[in-house]
Amino acid sequence: MTRRVLQTAILTLLLAALGSPGLAPPAAAQQPNTCLDCHSEFPEPLGVTREKFAADVHAQKGLTCASCHGGDPTKATPEESMSRAAGFRGHVDRRQVPDLCARCHSDAAYMRQYNPSLRTDQLSQYHTSVHGKRLAQGDARVAVCTDCHSVHDIRPGSDARATIHPLNIAETCSRCHSDAAYMKPYKIPTDQYAGYKESVHHRALAVRGDLSAPTCTTCHGNHGAAPPGVASVEFVCSNCHVFQAQLFDTSPHKSAFEAAGLPACVTCHSNHRVVAPGDAMLGTGPQSACTGCHVEGDGGYTAALSFQRRIAELQTAVERSGEILNRAEQYGMEVSEAKLEQAQARDALTKARVTIHSFQIDQVEKDVQAGLKITEKTYQAGVLALQERDFRRKGLGISLLAILVVLVGLRLYIRQIESGEGKGSA
Amino acid sequence: MNAPGVDISQPPLPLRRRLVELLLGGGLLASAASFLYPILRYIVPPPSADLGGDTVVAGKVGDLKPNSGRIFRFGSKPGLLVFTADREYRALSATCTHLDCTVQYRDDLHQVWCACHNGIYDLNGRNVSGPPPRPLESYEVHVQGDEIVVTRRQKA
Repeated sequence: MTRRVLQTAILTLLLAALGSPGLAPPAAAQQPNTCLDCHSEFPEPLGVTREKFAADVHAQKGLTCASCHGGDPTKATPEESMSRAAGFRGHVDRRQVPDLCARCHSDAAYMRQYNPSLRTDQLSQYHTSVHGKRLAQGDARVAVCTDCHSVHDIRPGSDARATIHPLNIAETCSRCHSDAAYMKPYKIPTDQYAGYKESVHHRALAVRGDLSAPTCTTCHGNHGAAPPGVASVEFVCSNCHVFQAQLFDTSPHKSAFEAAGLPACVTCHSNHRVVAPGDAMLGTGPQSACTGCHVEGDGGYTAALSFQRRIAELQTAVERSGEILNRAEQYGMEVSEAKLEQAQARDALTKARVTIHSFQIDQVEKDVQAGLKITEKTYQAGVLALQERDFRRKGLGISLLAILVVLVGLRLYIRQIESGEGKGSA
Repeated sequence: MNAPGVDISQPPLPLRRRLVELLLGGGLLASAASFLYPILRYIVPPPSADLGGDTVVAGKVGDLKPNSGRIFRFGSKPGLLVFTADREYRALSATCTHLDCTVQYRDDLHQVWCACHNGIYDLNGRNVSGPPPRPLESYEVHVQGDEIVVTRRQKA
């Protein structure tokens, strides 16, 4: 026993000498944790069950209650385990949470032993966030580490049950940001989550299961969370939508939007409620994104109509040639070569829809022309395949007729022979 | 045995017989032609060669320079054959998993690139950047003589 105490003392001294944040070493996981003996019986918020704490990544790495709350969980009595002499801190005030977590998480040398690739700039990022700035001003209602990461059962982001797993982030943010009563003092909208749930981004993430699809933190940042702002929204979107942003930069809209103080991308596509873009966004119909600024008679209005008409023409041509090729294929005709080319026509249509972001009809026209040229050829291939089918059908009909003629002829011939024999025998 | 009332002095028989023989001969000839035509069409090779099924000849050894790629036809879908800078053959489906555009090999990136929305895949077909949600299907490549044969992987 004396030897063990000596070992612990030496280790503690060593850690202190190394400038460590003073956490218990991983071996502490093997030691008794008297905190949980009592706290597992308490109701929330004081209650922490063994099962709950066992799920915490910190507990799994050997940290204990004392790592954050101080004290000595190896001591049997509350007086000893929660003694101020043992460094017991007890309840951590919300305002102190970021600094408490940062004692380890901002220490690159310390964090390296657990996860060398984990970032250690969360606190400095947090100071730049709207949350961090407000906290610095004394607003304790804003999010601190534990609001998003949970407390006592903190799981890594790769764990599907974690509050910060890509599939759960939007819901985590919405716990405050969709609460109209809670957000009232900040005078900001609370419909972001509702809008996001209808967006193409949410569909890609939650329905298609693409974990790289954007959620709140993709555009707003996580620890440095703040709205991108009018001037920089294009840069944010262009992280994924590279071509659209490049084309937009060359478009007449670039300077026009800047002059009008309109954000790029968001003006036509919205922000949280980014619905799947469609050709109806062009033109001058009810879903048009153009008629918000352009009125009948101006160049943009005419261009909007041209874009929609040309894209629709290519779309119709692609569908028409696709339909005839499918029909030919269903009849068993060999049209694989034409179907391969048909894929190029669909490519051209997709590219034309991207090129729309240049808002220059001659650029869009190049893609449309390329597509139309291919569809003309593939449609013709479909027509020829169906003509071949008709030819084969006629051929089958003629050969069946020929067989029928042979059968009738044979029957008559046999009758003649029989009648000749009959005559002969008479 | 003749039926009563039949006038045997009339010579209808040779004409009827000729007619029947003509019918039979013509019918036989037409039937033979209708049987032979598809056989002849089968023997004459079609304008495009396709092995069909799960195997295709994607090209010949020497067609591709190192660090280049080409599109080949795999049934009615495009495939991408890449001859890497390390002189290895790789074959992938060339249909982007995002919106079905045809991908291409980028010799500057040493990766597979989709020109429609800047999707990028590595040479194993894994989607590494951009909007593609899934990897490209990868095929087995065997060099048989001077032919590069690409085969769809058998699902376990």
